[in-house]
This record gives sequence, structure tokens and C-alpha cells, in this order.
Amino acid sequence: MTLRTHLYHALLWLVALLFFAPVAWIVLSSFKTATQILSVPPVLLFRPTLANYERVLSNPHILWGFLNSLLLSCSAVVIAVAVSFLAAFSFSRFKPRGTAFLMFLLLSIRMLPGSAAILPIYLMYVGLGWKDSYAGVILFYAMFSIPFSVWILKGFIDGVSVRFDETGLVNGAGWFRVIARLIFPQVMPGVIAALIFNFIFVWNEFLFNYIIGGPRTANIPVALATGLYSGGGVDWTFVSVVTTLYIIPPILVVFLFQRFLLVGMTFGTVRGEV
Amino acid sequence: MDTAPGVSATHALSDPPGVGARLAALLQRRSVLPTLLLVPVLLFFIVWNTVPTLWLLGLSFYRFSLTSGRPPIFTGFGNFESILQDSEVWLALSRTFLFVILAVGIETVLGLLLGLLFWNSQRLPGRRVALTMLFTPMVLTPVAAGTFWRLIYDPTFGVLSAMLRGLGLPTVNFLGDARTAFGSVLAVDVWMWTPFMVLMTLAALASVPKAELEAAEIDRLSFLQRLRLVILHHGKFILMLGILLRTIDAFKTMDLIYDMTFGGPGSTTQLVAIMLYRRAFEVFSMGWSSALAVILLLISIAFTATFIFVLHARERRKQDMPA
Repeated sequence: MTLRTHLYHALLWLVALLFFAPVAWIVLSSFKTATQILSVPPVLLFRPTLANYERVLSNPHILWGFLNSLLLSCSAVVIAVAVSFLAAFSFSRFKPRGTAFLMFLLLSIRMLPGSAAILPIYLMYVGLGWKDSYAGVILFYAMFSIPFSVWILKGFIDGVSVRFDETGLVNGAGWFRVIARLIFPQVMPGVIAALIFNFIFVWNEFLFNYIIGGPRTANIPVALATGLYSGGGVDWTFVSVVTTLYIIPPILVVFLFQRFLLVGMTFGTVRGEV
Repeated sequence: MDTAPGVSATHALSDPPGVGARLAALLQRRSVLPTLLLVPVLLFFIVWNTVPTLWLLGLSFYRFSLTSGRPPIFTGFGNFESILQDSEVWLALSRTFLFVILAVGIETVLGLLLGLLFWNSQRLPGRRVALTMLFTPMVLTPVAAGTFWRLIYDPTFGVLSAMLRGLGLPTVNFLGDARTAFGSVLAVDVWMWTPFMVLMTLAALASVPKAELEAAEIDRLSFLQRLRLVILHHGKFILMLGILLRTIDAFKTMDLIYDMTFGGPGSTTQLVAIMLYRRAFEVFSMGWSSALAVILLLISIAFTATFIFVLHARERRKQDMPA
């Protein structure tokens, strides 16, 4: 390799590190003592401590929050992708009247600012007494994950030739078997993209959980925002430890499923690899 | 394919209009499957979207405060009139549009430049790790990001202030000073979402046919000519989609800013989503907030329509020029 290439590669790494620097600072802070975090000037070299982790992980609210985050995001996403797959199949293959309109309506839910989207839900939940119930929170998150999933999956099912359906039906398979055995395996990439991107969304979601959830169903973003202050100031060790632990799953997802990133972040409207 | 498999063409032609007749036709061909598959999603949609939206619409015509304990009073278009006459709303809306234009503009230009920079990165050692690091800001919890940037921006303890001091410059109260707060939260949004535009640029670049790039090289087109004639010609739709998605998302920005400044100092960083949040969930004036939410809903529908229009334009073009 030439010097030019080396310099080029060094530059690329520099850009990547620059964007990662604030996150790295959070991770670094999680191993500092409270005084080290607030020392002037900031310290770069220090003896790392695990005391923060011990303290935060022995906090039952936080453990509860992690369990809630996991439970809410996994169940909402699985429900959403399952029902979306069926709907996407119907939209793609039968094109029922109003398909375009429904796809449009579905998308517009996702385009609404969160505080406007949650307002009527809040009033409904207060009226019906569904606030702070797992079913209420999970089903709302599922509803919010449906548009994204339908859009992604319809795109992928459109890409599977109808010949497969026809061959299956001619050979005596019912629709159920055609859908489950012929179509589903071929759109696995779409299913994975829908699963992981809705997972990241629900995992990081704060506002909805804060408004329609409560002490029982609080996820980590809510636990973080409400547990922030202690003794008159922000508890920075708490923030950095919780953030460091919490960002591991999304980072792993980006690393392991990098080729799904594009399709995932564009509602399935753009495909390809980066 | 226009007709569904298993449906004869004659049947599709004779499919009569009208709900009742359509239902009869569906049952006749003994295929309720298309509708059946839609039932779960429709149920979700009706319970969690249609009903609440109608509720919202209805409530926007009432004066209703959750804290007063009084029943709602019908005011007709009173809420809408008061919103349209409220200078704070107009200020929040114009601030939001300024935020969207600046954030998306900067992110697009930066993303385009960095995307072009990363174009030939296939042989970068540890490329996957580098890209993961580059894309990490996008998947960081906004609450955590917003909170921690407060520490980074802190005039006494923050890293940025330490750097300024190191350079012999005066420190700045980034988030606390009304003159710098807006720019500071904007910078955090740029940090978080420029990677998205890098991603979209890389996708746009990948959609450019290699042959045309080689042809441009042989023709000795300058870099700018190549960018305009070849790259943008092929990549503009993906870039347009990226810009639109970012526009819609920036319009929704709330958690990130709320955790940094709570909309302050004063109301210098109060975007319309934050304003709605405060009126609805801190003051609990639900009728007024519903009316504002209805207005935001109309704006979002306009955004969605634009997005779909661009999408269809791309599909039409694909059909016009196969391969």
C-alpha cells in the first residue's frame, strides 16, 4: 500500500473516532469516581473503578428497568412483525382496494411528533384505566412498530416472484403453507431488518413510556431521566454507567447487522449495502 | 401482476363496486384471505389510531383542562383561533422550521462530503468496526445523549470548556446562554444524525453504475462534473429520500433537546413538539393541546404525502428506463 492509502485510511478512522468520541467519553466516565468526573481539567488517565457498576447494579429500580426494556421491546416487536407480515403479504399479493391509502395512513403515524401522537392515547388510557399496564404499553409500542414493519416487509414480499405462490398452490399446498414455507423464508432479511430496527426504536423510546407507563412498566430511558438527580445535582456516575450498559445491545446490532442498516433506517425504501 | 393469483380475469373484470357487493363477490370466490390477513393490523389501527385520532379531533373543539376537574366546554374553533393568534406558537413553529432547515442542511452537506470520503473505503482495515463507531450516535438513547451533552457543554466541568481554556479562549455557557443555546443543541443534532446522511450518501453512490463512472473517467470529466452529471443523476432519489426522512425526524425532535435545556433558556430552544409536551403534560390544558396536535398532524400528513410522491417518482423512472 502506498503512503497515500495509509493517510486516507488514517483519515477515515479519524472521522469515525471523532463521531464516537462523545460515546467513548461516557464509557470512560463510567469507570471514574464522582470527583474524577467533575475534576477540572478533565482527567484522561486514572485508575479505573468498578464501584459505580456495583452501586448501580445493586439498585433494584435499574435492574427492573433493564428487564422492562427487554420485555417491552422484544414482545412489542415480535407482535408487530407477526401481524405486519400477514398484512404485508395481503397488500403485496392481493392489492385490496385502498392499499395505497392504508400504507399512507400507516406511515403518517410515524411522521407525527411524539407528543402529538401520545396525547390522545394518554387520554384514552386514563379513561380506560390502562395506564402503567404491560398490555397497554406493549400493544401501543406494537402499534407504533407496525407501519415500519409493513413498509419493510411489503417491499421484500414484492421482490418474491408470484411464481412461488402459483407453484405451491398448483402442487396442492394451502395458502397457509405457501405463506409459512415458501414466502417467509425468502423474506428473512426483511423480517430481521424490521425486528432489529423496531427493537432499537422501542429500546431507546422515552416519551411514550413516560406518559402511558408508570413505576411498574418504566424502561431504562425513563428510569434514567427520573433517577438523574441525587443530593442536589446530577448523579453523573449513575448516568454514565446506565448509558454504557444500555448502549451495548444497539451497538452490537449495528455491528452484527450492518448490511441491514440501510433498509432498516429508510422504511425499506432503499436497499443495498454500504 | 395486477390480478391476484387464483382469481380468473373475467371475475376480476366483473367485480362490482359497493361494499356489500364486494363482500358477496369475496365470499363467492371463497377467498376471504386478503381481508383476513389484514384483520390484526386493522384492529391495531382502529383501536390505537383511528379512535384516539377522532377523540383528539373532537377534543380540539372543547375547552378542557385535566387539572380543573370541570367537564369540557364546547368552544367550536375557539382553540384554533387562540393558537393562530398566539405569538408563542408562531415563534415555536418558526424556530422549529429554522431548526429543521439548518439541521438537515448541515447534515446533508456534511453527510455528502463524508460519504464521498468513505466511498473507496472497501479496503479500510477494521472497516466494520470503524463504520459501527461512525453510526453509533444514531442508536444512542436520546435521553442519555441529551443528558450527557449537558456535562460536555458544562462551563465549569465540561470537556469543551477545558479545551477552550487550553486554547486560551474564554469559556462559553453553551446551553445556559440564550445566544448560544440554539446553536449548541443544533450541533448535537448534527453529531447524532450526520451519520445517517453518510449512510444515505453511501447508498446513493452504490446505485451509480460502474460503467458510467469509468466512461466519465475516460472522458476526463472534472470531479464536479462527475458529481453533477453522473453521481447526482443516479443518486438523487436516494438522497432525496434521505433528506425527507431527516426533515420529518428533525421536525419531531423533542427528547434530545428537552433533556439538554428543557426548551430554555427563556424559550430559545423550545421547538413546537416541546411546547406541545409542556402544555399537554405540564399544564394539562388538553383542549388547546389537542388543537395544536391536530395542526401538527396536518403538517405531518403533508410531509408523508411528499415522501410518497418522491417514492413514486422514483418508481415511475425505474419503469421508464429498465435496468
